Amino acid sequence: MAGKAGKPSRPRKADKDEEEQPLQAVLVADSFNRRFFPITKDQPRALLPLANVSMIDYTLEFLTSTGVQETFVFCCWMASKIKEHLQKSKWCRPTSPNVVHVITSDLYRSLGDVLRDVDAKTLVRSDFLLVYGDVVSNIDISQALQEHKQRRSMDKNVSVMTMIFKESPPGHKTRCEDDDIIIAMDGKSKRILHYQRAQALKRLHFPMNIFHSGSDEFEIRFDLLDCHISICSPQVAELFTDNFDYQTKNDFVRGLLVNEEILGNQIHMHVTKDGYGARVSNLLMYDTVSSDTIRRWVYPITPEANFADLEGQSCTHSRHNVYRETGVSLGHGSQMEENVLIGRNTMIGANCTISNTVIGANCVIGDNVTLDRAYIWNRVHIADDVKVKQSVICDNVEVKHGVVLNEQCVLAYNVVVGPDITLPEGTVLSMHHPDEEDDEDDDEFLSDDNDVGYRKDKTKLKVFNPAEVGSEGKGYRWKTSSLEDTEEDELAECIWGEILLNQFLYHGGKLFSNLDKVMLEYNPHIAFRTVWTWKRYIKMYLKTLVEQSLYVSSQLLKKWAPVFKNYVKRPQDQLDCLASMEEVFLERETHWAALVKVLMSMYQLEILEEEGIMHWFNQGSTTDKSQQLRRNQGLLKFIQWLQEAEESSEEDE
Amino acid sequence: MELQAVLMAAGGGSRMMDLTYNTPKPLLPVGNRPLIWYPLNLLERVGFEEVIVITTKEVQKALSTDQRLKTDVKMRLDVVCIQEETDMGTADALRHIQQKIKTDILVVSCDLITDVALHEVVDLFRAHNATLSMLMSKVHEFTDTVPGQKGKKKAGEQRDFVGVDVTGKRLLFMANEADLEEGLVFRKSIMRKHPRMLIKTGLLDAHLYCLKRSVVDFLVHNKSVTSIRGELVPYLVRKQFSKMFGVHNKCTSKEEALLQLARERSCWNDHRGDMSEAYHGGKLRCYVHIMEEGMCYRVNTLAAYIEANRVVPKLFEDPPIHPTAVVTERSLVGSDSIIGPYCQISDKTSIKRSNVGTSSTIKEKVKITNSIIMNGVTIEEGCNIQGSVICNNAVIGRGADMKYCLVGSGQCIEPEGENAVVQCSSGYTTHTKTHTLHFCSSVVFVLNPAFCVCVCVHSLAHVCLFFV
Repeated sequence: MAGKAGKPSRPRKADKDEEEQPLQAVLVADSFNRRFFPITKDQPRALLPLANVSMIDYTLEFLTSTGVQETFVFCCWMASKIKEHLQKSKWCRPTSPNVVHVITSDLYRSLGDVLRDVDAKTLVRSDFLLVYGDVVSNIDISQALQEHKQRRSMDKNVSVMTMIFKESPPGHKTRCEDDDIIIAMDGKSKRILHYQRAQALKRLHFPMNIFHSGSDEFEIRFDLLDCHISICSPQVAELFTDNFDYQTKNDFVRGLLVNEEILGNQIHMHVTKDGYGARVSNLLMYDTVSSDTIRRWVYPITPEANFADLEGQSCTHSRHNVYRETGVSLGHGSQMEENVLIGRNTMIGANCTISNTVIGANCVIGDNVTLDRAYIWNRVHIADDVKVKQSVICDNVEVKHGVVLNEQCVLAYNVVVGPDITLPEGTVLSMHHPDEEDDEDDDEFLSDDNDVGYRKDKTKLKVFNPAEVGSEGKGYRWKTSSLEDTEEDELAECIWGEILLNQFLYHGGKLFSNLDKVMLEYNPHIAFRTVWTWKRYIKMYLKTLVEQSLYVSSQLLKKWAPVFKNYVKRPQDQLDCLASMEEVFLERETHWAALVKVLMSMYQLEILEEEGIMHWFNQGSTTDKSQQLRRNQGLLKFIQWLQEAEESSEEDE
Repeated sequence: MELQAVLMAAGGGSRMMDLTYNTPKPLLPVGNRPLIWYPLNLLERVGFEEVIVITTKEVQKALSTDQRLKTDVKMRLDVVCIQEETDMGTADALRHIQQKIKTDILVVSCDLITDVALHEVVDLFRAHNATLSMLMSKVHEFTDTVPGQKGKKKAGEQRDFVGVDVTGKRLLFMANEADLEEGLVFRKSIMRKHPRMLIKTGLLDAHLYCLKRSVVDFLVHNKSVTSIRGELVPYLVRKQFSKMFGVHNKCTSKEEALLQLARERSCWNDHRGDMSEAYHGGKLRCYVHIMEEGMCYRVNTLAAYIEANRVVPKLFEDPPIHPTAVVTERSLVGSDSIIGPYCQISDKTSIKRSNVGTSSTIKEKVKITNSIIMNGVTIEEGCNIQGSVICNNAVIGRGADMKYCLVGSGQCIEPEGENAVVQCSSGYTTHTKTHTLHFCSSVVFVLNPAFCVCVCVHSLAHVCLFFV
């Protein structure tokens, strides 16, 4: 706890010479989620090209232009690649006004881990900017920074964070439903009173206590886009250390708002109207931000500016936003209609129609190709008579003759498609098999040494399906496109919860031995956190269980028994488990019949004991509905049976 | 005729029973004019020629006899009487006069005193073809001590939450804090249409509404709605966002069809961001005009009554001293006071920041500050009256010293010998015992205990004297 030791002296020091401190930034070059899968299996998200420049370069350019002098880049997934990229970039040249430090660790699992490390290493001296490595922005932070400092000096460091938002009404192009947020703020002081992700909510609920702040004017705003840029005081990192269950910024903001009275910390906001700021959080946003960049909304960060100062990347800008780098050749009769960026040494055949498209370097495109809203990265070969609509085609992909890509297709690295095949909307192809386990990626619980048998099963299936990729194609079809992320309800709440859940369903009990390991390997600190999230897992698991057919669920339950046993040890755990089960069932009235079966199998598997169930049953239920649940015929019979069983066992003794 | 004006003047003034016990609320003098004159004047100023007045028999009689009102108000008053006992709500009253209503209506409450530019409200109604447009203003903080009440306003008062869109005109939400124990809940579809909602508290509803003719029809069909403010307005506000509404039938008239066409063809839109049609296709729209500055009072509490009396004289260019009043030269009447007709003010009397009503007599050596003296009051020599309200025809005996008192109409405060200090309060049956005690405690607070006499005038006109 080296960080703790140095703490008391730090804030005071920061107060004194706040003015002279150079502005620092923490750049998190990891998304801690899988929205870009399977593309990010080969390349970290921060390095994906956006208008032919890596996303992290946009972020660094934004930080530098806003006056940041020292940036800490935190990487986890494929850290070495990011490090390598940065070392080659202009940011690591001696002339760079922004000193970039790269900090890598495999242990970062969330934003919370990063900020706890910031605190432990005492990296920041005063207010700092916190951004992700996939933020594209040209917002002038200085005003917000000034407001932040003013608030801090006036209110004795009550305000710990200023979040930057961009005004964009619903239906605006840069909004995607995933990132919808609803904010209640104090009309005068710009203090955030309520912050909630609005995705998947039908009704928006604002507790009354937020209106008791003494103000008589409040604003409820649904027209804001979170730019994922925040001005934080060093306290933010300390708060993450103190509250080790905070994983995401969402946890932090909501935690702070809920506990405002206890902790006395406030969060403020700054809304920009004319700046551009967006986070490339999924492929839909990738599409939007790319086209915005080409359309020059992020001025002065434009393709022809070559702000990243890469050799040979300079391009010309002509009418209708057509950008061409050096060495581009265009065949006879080909048209670049509008908003087109073509990378160096790319050859385009005859009679092509290209609009709203970005093409990387060294690509070869055949004759009679139609590209609309296509994002084609480097060294891609596209044969004749291909049609592409709103799709992403990664490096080294080969698209053979006569292929048609419909909307929202993704061809990940090195895939070969065709010839003469039409890919339906939302197809995702990758060289990685979808069931191949992502051992080295950002999931802590999975490692490859277990379930070998399972692995063997899967390798048998590893044959390219010509119906999916064409007769000469190479690649596996993934289930759904990430562009269609919007339907995954839970994702917003708990990013890895959902992912883990999917894997649980695939692998059944594979997890439990790992969990043991986790318990032993990590320090108690982290282990506690695992338990904390565990309750949520139980709930989510049960949710799925209920929705599955009963056959499957009892199968799964058997596989899961060790996991449950591992965690449901004390009588209190049983009650917790039952309580969350009740909660789940209360939400789904139609599934009440299943409750008894689940209880029964849990009882038979010796996860739950009579005492626990009886205690839960006899507990005073608070709501009408839960009373109703308890009056369920099947349940009553089960309880009766339990009682009888108990009595008879007593008699036996 | 575009709008028919309806003046609601049948309210009993239940929140200031002290004053309205003998005088009906519409006839309470404010700045030496009956309260009802102010909304009438407001309507006349903007050019109404006729107004339907819904009131009680008593007020009707006064309206027909009051000469001054007759000369002041040139509009044709169509007075409709309702029985006091039936306890009719404002919506009931509208239903009662539905035969008279031919067009859209403008409903005004009789206790509204405002200098609002009324066209602001009506323009909203016209411009957006609204179903409802109403007037609100910032709540006034009454700083003065109110007679008979110690301390400030009751702290537990419930706030009204009013939600408007970003222009501050479209009314999206209205609720009282008391109904919001569970917190505010909005459907996401509403937020999508109006992504930036301002929630304001601390607004005063002026009870001035422009309503579509169809709303009256709706009232005729829905007899359960009794009050405009309590039920009808919240209902309309809510109904803006529901797909089914019974108020509007399909636009049948030619005019409306044309309006519809005009809106479809025009490139005007009420919102930005998405490309859906104006108003998102909603046919029912509520608007509110919120006065940022200017004066707006609803005289429905004692505090508001006192405040209105203080502020109103400044707005009308009447001479502060009525020509028929007799004011001796050796008295001192401040320019911030007004003296009504046929008053007699005697020597060595000083009147500051006060209103003295018609035919009142004020004898020598009286000092009146911050007070409201209604009509026909007699104040004997040597009184000192401060921050008090003296109702009609009261008689204040010699040498009374009153601070923050309220004397009911027709009451007589007996002289209590030389230098007697009298503190009086009036209370009526509606007052609870504690309330009465409350007055008394304020007496002790104000007066020298040795000479203190407390007079409590109760509803049955019996006078209790407490010698402390």
